[in-house]
Amino acid sequence: MTALRKNLYLHWLTWVTLGCLVTLVACDYAPQGDASSQPGEDAELTVYRHAMDGAPTSLDPAQASNIYANFIAVNLFDTLYRYKYLARPYQLEPNLAEGMPQVSADGLIYTIRIKPGVQFIDDPAFPQGKGRALRAADFVYSIKRHFDPAVRAQGAWLWQGRIVGLDEWKESGADYDRDVPGLQALDDRTVQIQLIAPFPQLPHTLAHGLSAIVPREAVEAYGPEFAVRPVGSGPFRLAEFDSTRAVLLRNERFRSEPFNLTAEGFDPARQAGLGLEKLEDRIPPLTDRIEVEFIAEDAARWNAFNAGELDFVKVPVSQFDQVLMARDPPALRPDFADRFNLAANLESGFVHTDFNMDDQRIGYHPDPDQDARNRALRCAIIKAFDWPKRNEIFYYGIGQVFPGIIPPAAPEFDPNQDRSAVTRDLDGAQGLLSSYGWYASNLPVLEYGFTSSVTERQMFEQFRSFMADIGYPAEKIRALTYATYGDYARAYLNREVMLITTGWTMDYPDAENTMQLFFGPNATPASNNANYDNEEFNRLYRASATMQPSPLRTAMYRNMNDIVIDDCATISGISRRLILLWRREHSLLPDRSFVGGYFFRFVDVRPAAGSRK
Amino acid sequence: MPRVMRTVWQALLLILGVTFVSFLLMVWFGPDQTYTLIGKNASAEQIAELRHELGYDRPFLARYADFLVDLSTLDLGASNSSGERVSRLLARSTPITLALMLPGFLLGNLLGVALGLAAAQRRGQWTDRLISGLSVVGMSISFLVIIIALQVLLSTPYGLNLFPVRGWQVSDLPSYLLYVTVPTIALLLVTLGYNTRFYRAVFVEEIGKDHIRTAQAFGTAPAVILWKHVLKNSLVPIITRVLFSIPLVVISGSLLIETYFGVPGIGKVTFEAITNGDQPVLKAVVALTAVAFVLIQLAADILYRLVDPRLA
Amino acid sequence: MAADQTLWKRLRSDPSGVAGLVIVALFLLLALGVWFGIIGQDWAAAAGGRWEPAGPRFWFGTNVLGQDIFERSVYSVRTAFEIGLVVAILSTLLGAILGALAGWYAHGWVDGTVLWLKGVLDSIPFYLFVAAVAYALQGEAWAMHLAMIATFWTGTGRLVRAEVMKIRTREFILSARSIGLPDALILVRHVLPNTLHILLVQGSLTFIAAIKTEVILSFLGLGIQHGVSWGLMLAESTQEVLAGQFNNFLAASLMLFALLMGFNLLADALQDALDPRQVAR
Repeated sequence: MTALRKNLYLHWLTWVTLGCLVTLVACDYAPQGDASSQPGEDAELTVYRHAMDGAPTSLDPAQASNIYANFIAVNLFDTLYRYKYLARPYQLEPNLAEGMPQVSADGLIYTIRIKPGVQFIDDPAFPQGKGRALRAADFVYSIKRHFDPAVRAQGAWLWQGRIVGLDEWKESGADYDRDVPGLQALDDRTVQIQLIAPFPQLPHTLAHGLSAIVPREAVEAYGPEFAVRPVGSGPFRLAEFDSTRAVLLRNERFRSEPFNLTAEGFDPARQAGLGLEKLEDRIPPLTDRIEVEFIAEDAARWNAFNAGELDFVKVPVSQFDQVLMARDPPALRPDFADRFNLAANLESGFVHTDFNMDDQRIGYHPDPDQDARNRALRCAIIKAFDWPKRNEIFYYGIGQVFPGIIPPAAPEFDPNQDRSAVTRDLDGAQGLLSSYGWYASNLPVLEYGFTSSVTERQMFEQFRSFMADIGYPAEKIRALTYATYGDYARAYLNREVMLITTGWTMDYPDAENTMQLFFGPNATPASNNANYDNEEFNRLYRASATMQPSPLRTAMYRNMNDIVIDDCATISGISRRLILLWRREHSLLPDRSFVGGYFFRFVDVRPAAGSRK
Repeated sequence: MPRVMRTVWQALLLILGVTFVSFLLMVWFGPDQTYTLIGKNASAEQIAELRHELGYDRPFLARYADFLVDLSTLDLGASNSSGERVSRLLARSTPITLALMLPGFLLGNLLGVALGLAAAQRRGQWTDRLISGLSVVGMSISFLVIIIALQVLLSTPYGLNLFPVRGWQVSDLPSYLLYVTVPTIALLLVTLGYNTRFYRAVFVEEIGKDHIRTAQAFGTAPAVILWKHVLKNSLVPIITRVLFSIPLVVISGSLLIETYFGVPGIGKVTFEAITNGDQPVLKAVVALTAVAFVLIQLAADILYRLVDPRLA
Repeated sequence: MAADQTLWKRLRSDPSGVAGLVIVALFLLLALGVWFGIIGQDWAAAAGGRWEPAGPRFWFGTNVLGQDIFERSVYSVRTAFEIGLVVAILSTLLGAILGALAGWYAHGWVDGTVLWLKGVLDSIPFYLFVAAVAYALQGEAWAMHLAMIATFWTGTGRLVRAEVMKIRTREFILSARSIGLPDALILVRHVLPNTLHILLVQGSLTFIAAIKTEVILSFLGLGIQHGVSWGLMLAESTQEVLAGQFNNFLAASLMLFALLMGFNLLADALQDALDPRQVAR
């Protein structure tokens, strides 16, 4: 009797368990409830499969400060301005705006007209689920959000202290129904911005994903979830999003603007052979579906590309040997050149190692003699740094090393400037050390901060070996490791790190963006990680900040650059050259710089090659 | 009655303990998410505001009390990083982890039982030596080595290049098989050694018992001995092991596999939450793990009583 | 003493056990060599070119920075032993003490507390716990060790508790108690020594678990921060295997495998040799 019961229980248990398993597994291949996956469409759907080497966590434009979020945000939402697809150097052009802004004579009032007939996508947040027309008030709302603490926005720094009444609006409670005098919608299609002081980079900030325009109804309806349920007016709408990928679908209601090669800055001499000519007069977005995979691991990304799962890849440095047969200029090996096109772009930023000038062991010191000694030490360290070797091992030798803080991506870059600050000079370094009384016994312990990834650790070890060549004892060069970048940021923003290695991505093509990294009042927790503070530099910065681009302003920037180099405040710098590969049959010119995500709408995919495997 | 009460009381104490320890470690001492969420050029004022928004400036007891209240009302909130509701996040990641880990987990145990039984029955012979030797080898290879090697051998041009390197675009059975195979093999290789050896020991012990020899002496057919006596009586340790290895294999194991193979499951979500300090997600995951563990213990208890009349 | 002799005799007669012992001893020698500064000291210097093949100067070749893979592999033996020994000894000790207390005062409040603690620690997923401890200690070098000790003691504790509950009822213990010897003395001098067989086996198993865990933690960036370990070498190698450079991967995996295999064989042999039922026979 008992044995039988036991048997029954066991059998019952087994079947229940199996049933649960089957159900669970079945749940996973239930079709995604999405209008996009209708059976008939699949055959004709053009698909572009892109890969990024990082993942955005939030698609809310208010949080689009990193390059990954920015990439996606500019496709789901509209910004007033963008950069021309093909023009190099990069040029601003109107996106949602009708034309470049009308600026008053004193440079304080910007009036911008918005194109007519722009619609938000359909979404349950709107009445009857129908997307409405975009209005100037939406732009005002979107910028205000950056000054509302509840939004946890990341873009306030672009407009803080610049727009009349905006900071007061925040102080008095961030009430969206209250007006901001300097940020007005004159009518449904006109925006007027009133500045406190001239701000020449304002139009550039309006081309950044942070300034993208969101509808108030959707933000209020979804609250924090708006970040994963975006509702915009951009060329694409979101079909899927998680930590491994995002899927974008063509927005059928996107405004029709035929593609014009000349307007986009096409250069037949340098951009022939990419298939771009045939895009003339077609209406973007040219692809139905874009799948963006977030693959941070180089190995996985490269393997996926090689296996045909991706149409585009930023080639990992470890593969450059396999892919390139020449370095300068980069050229593909024949078996790759048959199938892929290559773009070897310099990134729009640079990597540098700052000294924390606030740390008396290496930076400013109240005693003038010690201050001079510290400066000599810094200069010696800089002279001992072997840039060619750093370039060779970590950037395959194709990165561009330059002295100071104006990277090659900036229009004010001087290709002919003096390169002694990035030329290794062991004798000079040792001379400095001995003349200023630095010996192995009294050298300070250098604390070098980095996040604990393999590459960062290897860079640290290489730095230590560079210093060994001038007699800096290995025990006196210590690693300060942090498990994540957030931790590292906390540490250096709180001035706990002596040598801070960071990469800065420029927000717009204007060297003001890198000059502000050494402006005294921008000391941590703002972006001046070096806590550099030089009176002359500060004076020049303030004077040049209100100037429109001009030869005089460029000269001032270069002067400021020399001041930073002279003070040996930073070991700087290198801009990486990225090797981008994409399938030849597709017509595109990808960009990871200022054009960034804006190029998705112009990608043209050959259907046969683009359909899913 | 009192017995049930005692079990419930112990379960509650356990949950309280786990939530307290995790709150202490991950919330109180955890990473400060402020610095991941602020943009460039933050001012000290903005940082203070964000910290206030994230609740870092409140005292310990207040935050712990909030934590408990949130848990008991199942108000899990929204992720600090992405704004997505935690309940939605869990609902979409947990099935993925289960679909990813269950095949390997089940196969690992089934094969372990089969191999362990085969070895125990032929104890001392070459089959046994072979199986035992292989299980020691299996126990000596690092999970990481297996994952890297498998990826190179199965998913890259250096090897067979048959499977995708990473990802989880599963919409039907064929695509499921495509994406789940390499992780399943990895999980199998890692756990098989341990499982086989454990089950072998259990069966060896069982087979050596008097009642088995009695049955053999009585001339009972070997198959009957196997099924009716050996397996059934070994059920208690087998069930114990399966149930108790669930947290380790499925939850911890999924972390590595999901991170490496890019599968958006609960392991990857949790690990990212830890390293970012995304407290709403952490609270939910840890609390649920504790509850799951307690439930598993309860389930084990009930199953014992069902299976072993001596314990009833 | 007789027990020791029996143990040694039994071990010697088990060929795989001897093999295990020999392997572990060899690695221990390497570790000692590194500790005393005799070998493996040049693990940090970028002395060679990138990815040089194995040759007379660099026995295993070099990695991407030009560092000697052989030196790094040998130094990693020291790291492995450090972690393994610290974690194994301390967690076994902790498990023995807590398990003995729990078993001695079984069903009392001490036992209840220890069991509750065990339950709590077992409920928290391991890597989550370690990451959390690593943050709580602000990246201290010992964070990983502490986290491992805090979770690994439970296995030993459970077994010791069960054993102590059995020993408690034995005659010689009862007589010791009736004489009036203090509990602490009885535990230390009479009870714990009788759990030695469990402790030895558990200790060796924990050693293995600690090394394996460190490998994964270093890969995730939560492991050791100074020096080098097989985990760090494997993490480096994930980039290198893409470029067709397998030296780093093979060196680290094979040495790791050899040590783990040796220890597993030894642990098995110890378990067989110390099995009280077989000893009694």
